[in-house]
Amino acid sequence: MTTCEAETPAPHAAEVKLIARERAGIINPMYDCQPAGAQYAGIGIRDCIPLVHGGQGCTMFVRLLFAQHFKENFDVASTSLHEDSAVFGGVKRIEEGVMVLARRYPGLRVIPIITTCSTEVIGDDIEGTIKNCQKALKAEFPEREIHLVPVHTPSFKGSHVSGYAECVNSVIQAIARKSAPSGKLNLFPGWVNPGDVVLLKHYLKEMDIEGTIFMDTEDFDSPMLPTKEIDTHGCTTVEDLRDSANAIASVSLARYEGDAAAKFLKNEFEVPFHPVDTPYGIQNTDKLLRELSRVTGKPIPDSLVRERGIALDAMADLAHMFFANKQVAIFGHPDLVLGLADFCLELEMEPVLLLIGDDKGSQYKKDARIKALKTKAHFDMEIVHNADLWELEKRIKAGLRLDLIMGHSKGRYVAIDANVPMVRVGFPTFDRAGCYRHPAMGYKGAMELAETCANALFAHMEYTRNKEWILNTW
Amino acid sequence: MPMVLLKCDKDIPEREKHIYLKAPNEDTREFLPIANAATIPGTLSERGCAFCGAKLVIGGVLKDTIQMIHGPLGCAYDTWHTKRYPTDNDHFNMKYVWSTDMKESHIVFGGEKRLEQSIHEAFDEMPGIKRMIVYTTCPTALIGDDIRAVVRKVMNERPDVDIFTVECPGFAGVSQSKGHHVLNIGWINDKVATMEKEITSEYTMNFIGDFNIQGDTQLLQTYWDRLGIQVIAHFTGNGTYDDLRCMQQAQLNVVNCARSSGYIANELKKRYGIPRLDIDSWGFNYMAEGIRKICAFFGIEEKGEALIAEEYARWKPKLDWYKARLKGKKMAIWTGGPRLWHWTKSVEDDLGVQVVAMSSKFGHEEDFEKVIARGQEGTYYIDDGNELEFFEILELVKPDVIFTGPRVGELIKKLHIPYVNGHAYHNGPYMGFEGFVNLARDMYNAVHNPIRHLAAIDIRDENPAELPEKIREAA
Repeated sequence: MTTCEAETPAPHAAEVKLIARERAGIINPMYDCQPAGAQYAGIGIRDCIPLVHGGQGCTMFVRLLFAQHFKENFDVASTSLHEDSAVFGGVKRIEEGVMVLARRYPGLRVIPIITTCSTEVIGDDIEGTIKNCQKALKAEFPEREIHLVPVHTPSFKGSHVSGYAECVNSVIQAIARKSAPSGKLNLFPGWVNPGDVVLLKHYLKEMDIEGTIFMDTEDFDSPMLPTKEIDTHGCTTVEDLRDSANAIASVSLARYEGDAAAKFLKNEFEVPFHPVDTPYGIQNTDKLLRELSRVTGKPIPDSLVRERGIALDAMADLAHMFFANKQVAIFGHPDLVLGLADFCLELEMEPVLLLIGDDKGSQYKKDARIKALKTKAHFDMEIVHNADLWELEKRIKAGLRLDLIMGHSKGRYVAIDANVPMVRVGFPTFDRAGCYRHPAMGYKGAMELAETCANALFAHMEYTRNKEWILNTW
Repeated sequence: MPMVLLKCDKDIPEREKHIYLKAPNEDTREFLPIANAATIPGTLSERGCAFCGAKLVIGGVLKDTIQMIHGPLGCAYDTWHTKRYPTDNDHFNMKYVWSTDMKESHIVFGGEKRLEQSIHEAFDEMPGIKRMIVYTTCPTALIGDDIRAVVRKVMNERPDVDIFTVECPGFAGVSQSKGHHVLNIGWINDKVATMEKEITSEYTMNFIGDFNIQGDTQLLQTYWDRLGIQVIAHFTGNGTYDDLRCMQQAQLNVVNCARSSGYIANELKKRYGIPRLDIDSWGFNYMAEGIRKICAFFGIEEKGEALIAEEYARWKPKLDWYKARLKGKKMAIWTGGPRLWHWTKSVEDDLGVQVVAMSSKFGHEEDFEKVIARGQEGTYYIDDGNELEFFEILELVKPDVIFTGPRVGELIKKLHIPYVNGHAYHNGPYMGFEGFVNLARDMYNAVHNPIRHLAAIDIRDENPAELPEKIREAA
């Protein structure tokens, strides 16, 4: 046996492990709590101000978080819970809050009433209070219809991911009504950016499909106008929500963020439910377009074949030259992370570590995408659920070699301290300009994300003087 | 013209008692906004909670301390990445936050075991860190977890660690102000005089109520070093846990932020006889006055004058350059509370800027006494202002710039009004002589801003408004 042969490691079968965080406590959470996610869903509705039933911090910080991510202001109200409510119950503060909102905001049509840990522990009767509020509203504003939606989101369950899903589902449940078929398609994209909403609308238009996106956040990216008009708002209307019961089908793009509402519409109103893998990367987008075509009978037009080709053309320039064998860690919402893992594989990168949150181990075990990764991956992969960002940091400190990190801004210091290039994707991305404007979904999203990854690697090569001369000619 | 009922408040007329328009020949015996009172639900107030007043504002600044938040993960997530208080040890305080990640079963069966386990894990994962603050949150307070008992147990098992507890759930009090109070009093009761440090100067003081926003503390520290004054403890900018246990050793307590930290200065005076000296650290006149008072206390007036002369020689010409260009500009201040009275007179004296409206989130009535005394006539003084009120006030006073938080900043951008971050600053520090030049520069850059003019133009107009030929000058 030669020396050379002796040093060659024996080939071994790649192992994909799904494990949970072992520590009880969290060091650097990946997600906010349920009421935060519910507020995100709520601001996606037009003429809507969510009313958060809890302490003032539960609202103030979440509004700040949205402002950080979108560089925009969003209106969310609080019932300003104090000690007396903790002792005697806080329903009076809901009643007062609803009436104050109705009086001061004449265009208001929806108020999701979002609970928090404190008010769920106190046990305030939200549904009963809503009935009382409706009576008071009818008496004072007989001409107006204001939808008061109970949204139960105790912070000691799930995370902002499940809180988002809960609020979308609650609002649909409260407002959807059966009437004549609309001929429209419901699209539940999950928690995405305005850039993704614009992309999905473009796909619907190119395929000549009439559809509604829940929630339509396109105008979260809003202008400075000569008229000084403030045009930052959700675009999903009460009519859209009502008519969701009359759609030809619901397509959910996010298992953990969109399926619940789509399943409700199927069970309650027999709207066919079509879940698809979240469309990050080329193949997942292919699946979405095929499904849209199958459900509506509309063909996929040449224009989208061309868009797909342009994305592939750009990605081909990068994949085997710059991306092959690069080890990547991805953290964030489960639907995003699992989709991005496929995206990485298409670019010959190796997503060796996936961090997803939430205490939903049993759900993740059943997730077909995780099962599929077990056959697709040709390298060892760890998928940590119920994860925090310390799971990433401690692995790096223990020697995990990473070439790239993909995730949101809360993980920025892990990347900075380890000197690993990081691409911002997901929510929130406050430490990079304009992320919310760009799609991560679809062909265009895959292309732009690939280019952002490449440019991050290139800049890193230059700052660290690591073969930066390769780019002297490219 | 006394208290003001705005049009938007016609349905919540009690707001009249919170908004004052100062007129000639009036004083605060007659007119003083009600403050530190409960917010009306549904008004879109700017206020935070008591927990954040303790954790985010004061405790979380410390550079060597684990911040263990006993509750669901959101309270930890939300009080992380929302402040700019760097440290000289690579910003440990801004990088990490800890939560016991409380779940439903702990609500039902109690969360003490969970807390105990989380504390041990946190120390095990970061073996170099030996200090911790444990905070309750709304749900753990409601279920009655005894966090002090848990902490006693852990400290018995780990003799090399020290842990402080803050029992201040978000629903306590009416604003973050309650949290300041709870942490102040808790610290003096539990931790002051549990340690002694080496005294290296005949002049010693505590510097209280300054949180090293963008390096404020570190800038001022260069003055104390030059004056030969030993700062025993910084409460809490760039501060350490153990220094704060030695506060009883100081000869003088110098207080900048009286609202968040006056309580501990009062207690230090009562219990240890250490005098309290309040100063303003923003503005040339005020900073010089503060240095003079401190030096007079120690009998080192000459040193103080020499420092002030050096700083004036270096920075005053730059300040005056900005003053010439900012004179007569109108400014609004919508921040927490104390900065209203710290800034209103200093921007007027040092920069010729007129403060035309001010709103405080958590100031008390004594803060309004101070700001109304220092502030101008024709200016609005607002307690716990809300969004519709802001719009109406803006129409009334038409400011050129607003010092406020980023969210409100995004809102007023649409109205073509520039903002400067009044909490975390744009490009600080803002304290001290150099700092106030930074503030002036940021205000100049905000006001002399081409985009603001561009936004006003409708490209369809046949004769669009022309941009000023020259908007900015070389500083």
